[in-house]
Amino acid sequence: MTDLFESVVQPLRYPFIIRGLWASFMVGTVCAVVGAYVVLRGMAFFGDALAHAILPGIAVAYLLNVNLLVGALVMGLLTALGIGYLSRRGQIKEDTAIGVIFAACFALGVALLSTVRSYSVDLTHILFGNVLGVSDADLWLIAGLGVVVLAVVILLYKELLVISFDPVLAATLRLPQNTLHYLLLMLIALTTVISLQTVGVALMVAMLVTPAATAYLLTRRLWHMMIVGAAIGAISSVAGLYLSFYANLASGAAVVLVCTAFFLLAFLFAPRRGVVWVRMRHRR
Amino acid sequence: MVPALEVHNLSVRYDGAQALDNVSFRVQVGERVAVVGPNGAGKSTLFKAIVGLIHPQGGVVQTYGAEIGYVTQRSTVDWNFPVTVHDVVLMGRIGKMGWFRWQRPRDREMVRRCLAQVGMLEYANRQIGELSGGQQQRVFIARALAQEATILLMDEPFSGVDMPSQEAILALLENLREQGITILVSTHDLNLAVERFDLLALLNRQLVAFGPPRQVITPHALTAAYGGQALWRGEDYALVMGDIGCCGETRDRYD
Repeated sequence: MTDLFESVVQPLRYPFIIRGLWASFMVGTVCAVVGAYVVLRGMAFFGDALAHAILPGIAVAYLLNVNLLVGALVMGLLTALGIGYLSRRGQIKEDTAIGVIFAACFALGVALLSTVRSYSVDLTHILFGNVLGVSDADLWLIAGLGVVVLAVVILLYKELLVISFDPVLAATLRLPQNTLHYLLLMLIALTTVISLQTVGVALMVAMLVTPAATAYLLTRRLWHMMIVGAAIGAISSVAGLYLSFYANLASGAAVVLVCTAFFLLAFLFAPRRGVVWVRMRHRR
Repeated sequence: MVPALEVHNLSVRYDGAQALDNVSFRVQVGERVAVVGPNGAGKSTLFKAIVGLIHPQGGVVQTYGAEIGYVTQRSTVDWNFPVTVHDVVLMGRIGKMGWFRWQRPRDREMVRRCLAQVGMLEYANRQIGELSGGQQQRVFIARALAQEATILLMDEPFSGVDMPSQEAILALLENLREQGITILVSTHDLNLAVERFDLLALLNRQLVAFGPPRQVITPHALTAAYGGQALWRGEDYALVMGDIGCCGETRDRYD
């Protein structure tokens, strides 16, 4: 018992680990809440693309020597609006629009970063996260943006629910669907930006989708899905960080693997919807 | 007689094709209309134009300021979405609740009342996918009631619904008439339309016939709406609908 206590407390001696834990905790929570909409509206590809597309923003911020998250933020919002605009025009399908923009932006980002001599090290951090490098300023930015995202989700809960569940009703109620859709894209962009340092660009989509998908299997109301997802996201993030500390693994990867383990458990054993449950019912 | 809905010279183009061509009719408060026609006749388009989801190319829809409840086809709903029966009915209140607000006791009370009226109160906490087809339709009727709709449009509410559920929905519609709710239902079931509705709108892009079912349903009108696919057997009021097979034979579907 004391051993367990000791192994939980021991990493907490290092301030950078405490900062990393806070960052992971907040990111895990916010991602899962926004992720509920990503899962329900089938926007996983959009989320993944957005994460990659912010790379040039980071590169420019790096070259200009300003906070990387600021560059990511600007680029994330621009990309969200750009994809939204291209796909709404209707000449090309949404996933095609996403594919074009995402690859172009990512390539531009890599090209810009390759002009910097020591880019290989930094690119790794951007791609896979560097949660132990989170500064106090980053922490405040994550907290601030996280609060904004959660506040919007809570205040516009019923409106976002209706445009996701029943666009026809939303239209008959004269809700501004386009505006709400863009707002949702921007919430996803903000979420992507704050997740950058914990899991990085490449694994970002897992934080958006996996805890929310796990919660989807376990719940049957949207706000339950958000709360359960947030709990799973937060627990996985913290547990993943401990795992990376003791097993000496890359932190972002460890967090995502813990998330996936939760998902597999739910997929197999979720009441009513889990594979095992369904099998048993069929046998009877 | 108080008019509830007036459609005047309505024409709609949809995906480059003429979906509705110069459709005009008038419905009084509390009347129940069955909209019947073959696939692609423009039944859904007519409803969407009435609700204001699509802009007509010409013509006017006059609803006299009524709130319109629209129950879409079951296939358009994601039944695995994490919402309960209560949540769905509450969505009807959104227009009345205002922005940024969560439900208050009176919204909850309204939801309960509407669910009680359709006999679904005990299912309030079920996820919508756990209901039968008929129950799902009743929940969406409850949502229209929560919306305080006075015109109710239902797109194919009887498809994939068993007979007892169909009767339950019809009884409910009878009830709503007493509340002065005007109802338009699209259906493939010509018999049902003739037997159980006040008015029949026979649609095939144009409005082929409109009026009390037994007056408007003539062999001529049916042929105009369905081509050779509907046959009329005058004496016993049974309708014979059949598909013309590859070899010109007619298989009876209703008798």
